[in-house]
Amino acid sequence: MDYKHLADQLDMDESDVLELVALFMDTARTDLEKIRQGMSFGNPCQAASAAHSLKGAAGNLGFTHMADLAAKMESAANGGSLEGFDAYVGDMETRLDALPPT
Amino acid sequence: MEKIQPYAVLAVDDNLLNLKMIEKSLSKEGYQVFVAGNGSEGRSIAREKHPDLILLDIDMPGENGFDVIRKLKQNPATSLIPVIFLTGISDVNAKLKGFDLGAVDYITKPFHPLEVLARVRIHLKLSIATNSLIQVQAAKLLQVSEAQTAMLPVPENFPAARFGVYYKALEEAGGDFYEILHIREFIIGYFVADFSGHDISTSYLTPSIKALLAQNCTPLYSPRESMKMVNAVLKEILPEEKYLTACYLHLNRSTMTMTLVNAGHPPAAYLPVRGDPFLVKSQGDILGMFSDAQFGIDRIKVSKGDRFFVYSDGLVESVGHKNNWMAGARKLLPLFKDLQQFSCRDAPDRLVLQLSAENTPLEDDIVVLCIEV
Repeated sequence: MDYKHLADQLDMDESDVLELVALFMDTARTDLEKIRQGMSFGNPCQAASAAHSLKGAAGNLGFTHMADLAAKMESAANGGSLEGFDAYVGDMETRLDALPPT
Repeated sequence: MEKIQPYAVLAVDDNLLNLKMIEKSLSKEGYQVFVAGNGSEGRSIAREKHPDLILLDIDMPGENGFDVIRKLKQNPATSLIPVIFLTGISDVNAKLKGFDLGAVDYITKPFHPLEVLARVRIHLKLSIATNSLIQVQAAKLLQVSEAQTAMLPVPENFPAARFGVYYKALEEAGGDFYEILHIREFIIGYFVADFSGHDISTSYLTPSIKALLAQNCTPLYSPRESMKMVNAVLKEILPEEKYLTACYLHLNRSTMTMTLVNAGHPPAAYLPVRGDPFLVKSQGDILGMFSDAQFGIDRIKVSKGDRFFVYSDGLVESVGHKNNWMAGARKLLPLFKDLQQFSCRDAPDRLVLQLSAENTPLEDDIVVLCIEV
C-alpha cells in the first residue's frame, strides 16, 4: 500500500490522505468492536449498522477488499445471521494491521 | 479588493470519514464547508447558515435523509436550498424517493472526491442561473409596470381635457388602461379599457393600443367608426382568448355633444349640473373578439360643468357587485354626486379614499376617470 498513489487516485494532498487513513484506522477499529459486541449479545442490528459504516469508509478510500468484507457482514446481519463473523472480523483485523503506518 | 463570499456547502452524514473527505476536497477548492453528523444537527445548521447546497446521506440512524429533506422543504427558510443525496449504488427506490421529495441529484457511494466536486459545481451553477433568472424576470416586470404607468397621460399635461384620474394596478402588469386623445382643441376622446387577464402579454399590448387609438381617433372618423377600426385591428393582433372591454367617450366642447361608445364595459355615469345623475346604459360587444361587433352608442347634449365618470369593473366590484355591473353602478351614483364639492382633478382620488374608508376591498385593477365639460 502506497499512500502517495492513493492520494493521486483521489486527487488529494498526501497529507490529507494520511489524515483520512488515520481516521479510518480509528473508526474501523471502533466499528469492529461494535460488531464484536453485536456478536457477543446476539444483536445482528448493531453488527449491521457498524458494518455499514465500515463499508462506506473503506469504499471511499478505495480499500475494496475491506469494503467487500464489510458488505458481506452487513448483508448477513441485516438478514439476522451472524454466521462466519469470527472469520470476517479476523480477516478485517489482519487487513487493518497490514496498512502501513501513517 | 472586495472579498468574494465563498459558496457554502453543508454535508450531513453519520460517517465521520465521509464527512472529512468531503470537507477536505471541497474546502481546498475554496468552498466553505459545514458538517453535521446527524439529521437534526444538519437541519439546524441549514436554518442558521443557509448554505448554497446540501449533501445529504440517506442511511443515517435516527432522523434519516428522507425525514431531513422533507422537513427542509417544508421550512420556507430552507426549502429552496438544492439537496444532493448520497446513496448506495443499487438503491433505485431510494433514488426515486429522493427525487420525489425534492432532491436535485444523487451521488452513489462509495464516491470519488472529484465526482462530489463536479456535482456540487454543476448544481451551484444551475441554482445561480435559476436565481438570477428570477431576479431578471422580476426586474423586467417592474420595468413593464413603470413603462406602462409612464405611458398613461396625466391631467397636468392635458389641461384642455379637464379630467381627473385614479389608476392602480394590483399586479406588476396591470390589466386596465386609459388614454386621452387630443382630436382637436375642442374635441377630446377619453378611452378606458380593461384587458382580459393581467399577464405580461397584455401589458406589452399597451403601446400597440395607444398607437392604434392615435391612428383611428381622428376628425375623419365618427366615434363609432373609430372603435370599429380599432376592433378590426385588435381582432387580428390579439392572442386567442384575449379581448378588451372598453368605453370611448368623445366630447365635442364646441357643439356641446358627448358621444359614448360602449364595448362590453360597465356603464358610464352622467352628472348634469342641473337634474339627476343617471347611467349611460347602452351596451355593446367587447373589442377584439368579433369582426362584426356592434357597440352601444349614446349621444347627449351637455352643458358647461356637467361631469362624466368612466371607470373599470374593479370599481363596480368593489361595491360588492361582481356579476351585476348595473346594480353596482347604481350604488355608485350617490357617491359620484357627493363628489361635486371637489374639483374634477381630485374627485377620483376622493372616491377611492371614501371607498377605502368604508373598508371596501379593492380587489382588482382600478381606473376611474372624472371628465368635466
